[in-house]
Amino acid sequence: MAKIEFDKVEVGQTLPPLDIPVIEHANLVRYAGASGDFNPIHNDPDFARKAGLDGTISHGMYVMAQVGRLCTSWADQKDIAYFGVTFKAMTKLGEKLTCVGTIKKKFEKDGKKTVTVLVEAKNEAGEVKAGGDLVVNAV
Amino acid sequence: MAITKDIVGKKLDRFDFTVERGKIKEFCLAINEKNPIYFDVEEAKKAGYSDVPAPPTFPTVIMFWGYPKIWNDMAELGIDLSKILHLKEEYTYHKILYPGKVYAQSEISDVKSGRAEIVTFRTTIYDEKDDPILSAEMAIFIRKD
Repeated sequence: MAKIEFDKVEVGQTLPPLDIPVIEHANLVRYAGASGDFNPIHNDPDFARKAGLDGTISHGMYVMAQVGRLCTSWADQKDIAYFGVTFKAMTKLGEKLTCVGTIKKKFEKDGKKTVTVLVEAKNEAGEVKAGGDLVVNAV
Repeated sequence: MAITKDIVGKKLDRFDFTVERGKIKEFCLAINEKNPIYFDVEEAKKAGYSDVPAPPTFPTVIMFWGYPKIWNDMAELGIDLSKILHLKEEYTYHKILYPGKVYAQSEISDVKSGRAEIVTFRTTIYDEKDDPILSAEMAIFIRKD
């Protein structure tokens, strides 16, 4: 992955979007095993319904991991200084998400060049599931 | 039981965790990450890494596999596990997280009580020399009925 060249990025510029395959129960079972997050609201439909949900919901971190893939497909991971999101809506099974990014800010301080990107995961209706910032050291 | 500010600053047990290449691979397969730098040491070296790096959200693995006691700790704090939602996760990276032994220390860094109850855990992950690799902030929201 190439370095982010400070002079070549502009505020408002967008990152190539990343389409995520439809989220299915199997994705979440596999993610639960890999991540160790076995909260049954993500893997047990009966438990999820008893907890007052319509059915199992995605781990927020599964969605964040997809946004993370958008970040590392754009920037070299060695240059990522910060990555944070707020989870804004639950992701249900069958939803199809796209991860998008827009350059929000660029600044130079003490010779250090930094680019901040607004990154989001949205469903097909445009509902934002997770949104936050990616901060990258640029050259 | 209402969550109160008194628990801010409470430290959880320090624990160690060995990041394994196989676990990085498993995690990447689970999130559909296909970049060979996460699977193949030679590919990682070609890209300027010293080993396969752990992807940006891998620290969650360290938390849940390395410290499954988090669920008991939350229950003991009076948090109803069937009512929690993940509200926020933030990572500040100092170094790349590579395979090898790491140490982690979490503490409760913030509590908002009242109508919306939010508890934030801050975890710092250190290498064997005690240098911080990254810090993570996880905020959970407790749903009301």
